[in-house]
Amino acid sequence: MGQEFLTGLVGLIIMVLLIAVRIPIAFAMALVGMAGIYLISGPMILLSQMKSLAFGTFTNYDLSVAPLFILMGHLATRANLSFGLFRAANAWLGHFRGGVAMAAITACAGFGAICGSSLATASTMGKVALPELRRYNYSPALATGTLAAGGTLGILIPPSIVLVVYSVIVEVNIVEMFSAAMVPSMVAVLFFILAIALYTRIAPDAGPKGGRVDHQELLAATLGAIPVILVFGIVLGGMYLGLYTATPAASIGVFLVLAYGVARRVLSLRDIVAAILSTAKNAGMIYLIVLGAELLKIFMSRGGVPQAAANAMLESGLQPYLLLLVVLAALIVMGMFMDSLSIILLTLPFFWPVISGLDFGLTPNETKLWFGVLALIVVELGLITPPVGMNVFIINALARDVPMIETFKGALPFFLFEIVRVILLVAFPAIVLAFPAWIS
Amino acid sequence: QEFELKLHHFLGPNAPAQTQMLEPWAQRIEVASDGRIDIEIYPSMSLGGTPPELIRQVRDGVVEMVWTLNGYSPGLFPRTEVFELPNVHRNDPGATNLALAELFDTHLAEEHVGVKVLFQHVHAGQAIHTTDSEVRTPSDLAGKSLRIPTRTGAWVAEALGANPVSMPVPDFPQALSRGVVDGGLVPYEIIPALQLQDLTDYQTELADGGRLGTSVFQVSMNLDRWNSLPADIQQIFLDNSGEDWLREVGQIWADTDVQGLEVATEAGNTLVTLTAEESAAFEEAVEPVVTRWIEEANGLGIDGQGIVDAARASIATYSE
Amino acid sequence: MPAMQPGRGGFVLFAYHLCKWWAIGGGVILFGIVAVNVVSVVGLAIWRSPIPGVYEIVQIGAAVAMFMMLPYCQITGSNVSADIFTASLRPRTITILAGIGALLGAVFGLFLIWRMGHGLKDVYVYRETTAIYQFPVWIAYVPTLLSLALFVLAAIANMVQTAQGVLPEQVDHDATA
Ligand code: NA
Ligand code: NA
Repeated sequence: MGQEFLTGLVGLIIMVLLIAVRIPIAFAMALVGMAGIYLISGPMILLSQMKSLAFGTFTNYDLSVAPLFILMGHLATRANLSFGLFRAANAWLGHFRGGVAMAAITACAGFGAICGSSLATASTMGKVALPELRRYNYSPALATGTLAAGGTLGILIPPSIVLVVYSVIVEVNIVEMFSAAMVPSMVAVLFFILAIALYTRIAPDAGPKGGRVDHQELLAATLGAIPVILVFGIVLGGMYLGLYTATPAASIGVFLVLAYGVARRVLSLRDIVAAILSTAKNAGMIYLIVLGAELLKIFMSRGGVPQAAANAMLESGLQPYLLLLVVLAALIVMGMFMDSLSIILLTLPFFWPVISGLDFGLTPNETKLWFGVLALIVVELGLITPPVGMNVFIINALARDVPMIETFKGALPFFLFEIVRVILLVAFPAIVLAFPAWIS
Repeated sequence: QEFELKLHHFLGPNAPAQTQMLEPWAQRIEVASDGRIDIEIYPSMSLGGTPPELIRQVRDGVVEMVWTLNGYSPGLFPRTEVFELPNVHRNDPGATNLALAELFDTHLAEEHVGVKVLFQHVHAGQAIHTTDSEVRTPSDLAGKSLRIPTRTGAWVAEALGANPVSMPVPDFPQALSRGVVDGGLVPYEIIPALQLQDLTDYQTELADGGRLGTSVFQVSMNLDRWNSLPADIQQIFLDNSGEDWLREVGQIWADTDVQGLEVATEAGNTLVTLTAEESAAFEEAVEPVVTRWIEEANGLGIDGQGIVDAARASIATYSE
Repeated sequence: MPAMQPGRGGFVLFAYHLCKWWAIGGGVILFGIVAVNVVSVVGLAIWRSPIPGVYEIVQIGAAVAMFMMLPYCQITGSNVSADIFTASLRPRTITILAGIGALLGAVFGLFLIWRMGHGLKDVYVYRETTAIYQFPVWIAYVPTLLSLALFVLAAIANMVQTAQGVLPEQVDHDATA
C-alpha cells in the first residue's frame, strides 16, 4: 500500500498546484485522476474505464436535478419574479429602521426558495433592491453587504445545487437532504434580520426608515408575491409531502415558471434561449467537475488514500467534535479561495470517511444530513469573505462607487451571525433533523 | 499474496449480500488457497462508475471480479432473463440457482462474453406488497399503480391489469407513503431496509410461497485474468462455487427473506398466502408474460420455447 | 466600424455560434424531460397511469442534453478556475495560463472521443438497451461524441483567443459590433 499511498499524496499536491496556476478545476481533477490510475493500475485499466465512465456519470439520475433547478432559477430571474418579491417584502417591512435591508433579505429568501444558486440570487436581487436601498440613503456598506449576504440564501435555502451534489456523493435522499436544510435556513433568515436590527441600532444612520405604504399598495404588493409563493409551495411543498421526488419536482418548477412567464408575457423566446444558455454554462461546469471528481475518487480509492486519511484522523485520538471542527475550519479556509461546489467535490472523498467514522450519537443517515447542512454553510461563507468573495464582487459591480472593502465590511456582521448559527447547529443537531423526521 | 483480486459491487459494505454471501465466499477461497489468493471487496461502486457499468468493468478488466445484477444491463442477457419470469421461478431460490448452473453450458454461456461466470443466483422472488387493499384475485390489482423491478416485472403488472411504475428502489418508500403508488413487486428481504412494514399493510404470495418472478445476479471474473490463473487456483474457485454453494446461497437469500417478512408480520402486517385455487388464477393471468417473452426471444433468434421448457424442467428437478 | 475585436475572428465566431445552437438543442431536450415528468406526475395523480419508463428517459435525456451543453460552457470560458493566486500576474501571463487550460481541455476532449468511440462500439456490439423501452444505448452515444468533437473545437477556439491576448470569459460574442 505504501507506494500507492505515496502516489496518491503526490497526485494531490500536483492537483493543488495545477489549480493554483489557473487550470480549470475540472481538468485538474480529471488529468491528475487519470494519471494516477495509470500509475497505480496501468494503462489498460485507465483506457478501459474511460470507455464508459463519462457517459455513465452523466446518466446519474439524481444529478439531473441540478440542470433542472438551474434552468428554473434562470427562468425565474428572466421572468422578473424577484421584483414582485421585493415589492411585497418592502411594503411590509420598509418602514422599520433598517427595514428596506430586512425586506431585501426576505426577498432574497423568497427567491432562494425557487432558485438553487447564490450568484443568481445575489445578482438578480441586487439589481432590484440596490437602487431602493440607495434611494433611502442606506450606508453603502450595509446596502451592499446585505445583498451579498442575502445572496447566499439562494443556496442555503433549498433547492440548493450544492446539496444536490452532496446527496449524490454521500448517497442520501435528496428530498430528505433538502428538508434537513429547511429549518436551519429559516434560522439564517432570522439571524440576518437580527444582524440588520443590531447594526442599525448601533449605527442608526446606516439604515433609515423607509416610507410607509397605504393599504392599497400593501394589498397589491402582497398579491404580487403570490406567483413565487405558489411555485415554491407546489415544488418544495409537493416534494416534502412526498407527492413526487426531486427530479419531477424540479420539472414541475420549470414548467410553472415557464407557464407563468409566457402567460404574463414577461418571458420572450429570447429570454428562454438566454436561460438555456446560462444553464449550459452553470450545469456544464458542474457535470465536468463531477466527472473530474469521479476520476480523482477512483485514483484515491485505488491508492487507499481516503481510508488511510480516515484511519489517521480516527487514530489521532482527537475528540469527535474537535475533528469536526478541524474539518469545518478547513472548509471555511478553502471557501475563501475556491467556489463551493468544487470544494465539496474535492474534499468529500477525504472528509466524509472521517466524519462517518465518528460517533456523534446519530444514526448514519442523520450524520449525513447534519454534516451536509454544516458543510453547506461553511463553504458558502467564502462567498462573503476576502479575498475571493463572489457575492461581494457581484454586488460591488452593481455599485461601482462603493469601495470593495466597504462591501466586505458590510457583510461582516452577517458572517459573524453565520458562525453563531454553525455553533448552534453543532450543539443542537435536532434543528437539522427534526423536520425531516417529522415529514417522513 | 500471489493473486490479488478486486471484487467490485454496488451495495454498501453492511448489506447482507456482502456480509453473508460475498465475504464468506471470498474467505473460504482465501483459506483454501493457503493465502495465495487475496480477494479485496470494494463495495458502493468505490472503484468508480455506475452499477450498469459493472459488467463492462469486469469484461474489460478494469476490475478482476464483480457481483452485479443482470437487470442493470438490459439486452445483454436475453437468455438468462428466462429465470426472472413468473411461472418459471416458483418459490425456491436454491432450485433456480442450480437450474441456472445446469443450463449454463447448454443454453446461456454464449451471452457471457469476456467473463468467466463463477456463479449466478437469484433472490427469493417478487411478492406483492400493497398499502390498503387485500389482494386475492388479479382483479384486486386492476387500475392500481405498482412499482416494478424489471421490464418483465412491468409485463407482470400489465398482465394483472395494474399500471407499472419504474423507479429506483430507494424512492419506493416515499412513493408508497404518499399514495403515488399503491404497491409494488419486491422480495421480502428488502422490507426492513425500506421500512415497508410501516408503509404497507399486505404482503401477498402464491400458494407454497410462490412468487411472481425474480432477479438474476452474477459473480464473474475477467476471462483473461481467469485464464491466467494456474489450474489449481481455478479449481479452488470452482470447488467453492459448485452445487453446495449454490444451495447455500439459495438458503442465505431465503433466510434473509424470511427475516424481512417477520419484520412486517411483527409490525402487524397481514401475510396473504393464496390458496391453490387463487394462485392458479394468478398463474393463468401472468402466463401471457411468458408467451410475450418467448416471442421476443424468437425475434432475437433465440429458441424461446426451448429455453422456457428447459428452465422449467430443471427447476422442477431441483425443487423438493 | 472598429477593427476586428480581438478574440472575435471568423473561426472563433463560427465555433461560438455552432456551440451556442448545439447547447440550445440540449436545452430543448431538457424541456422535453420537463414535459415527460409533468405528464407522468399528472397522469399518475389523475388517472393512476404514469409513463412507466420516465426514469430511463430522464437518465438518457439528461446525459445527452448535458453533453450538448459542454461545448458552449467551454467556449464561453465558464469552467470554473481559482484565479486568486494568479491575479497579480501580468495580463499576458494570465492569458497564456488560460491557453494552457484550454489546451488541456482539448486534450481531455480528444482522449474522451477516442475512448468513448470504443465505448460506442461496445454498447453497439453487446446490444445494450434501456430497461423498459429497449432503447439502444449506442444511439445516445452519437450526439455525445458529436458534442465532444464540438468541445474540442471550442477549446481550440479558446486557444486562438488566448493567443490574441484575450480571455474567453471576457468576450461577448453576441454584442453587436
Ligand atoms: Na435555493
Ligand atoms: Na471568499
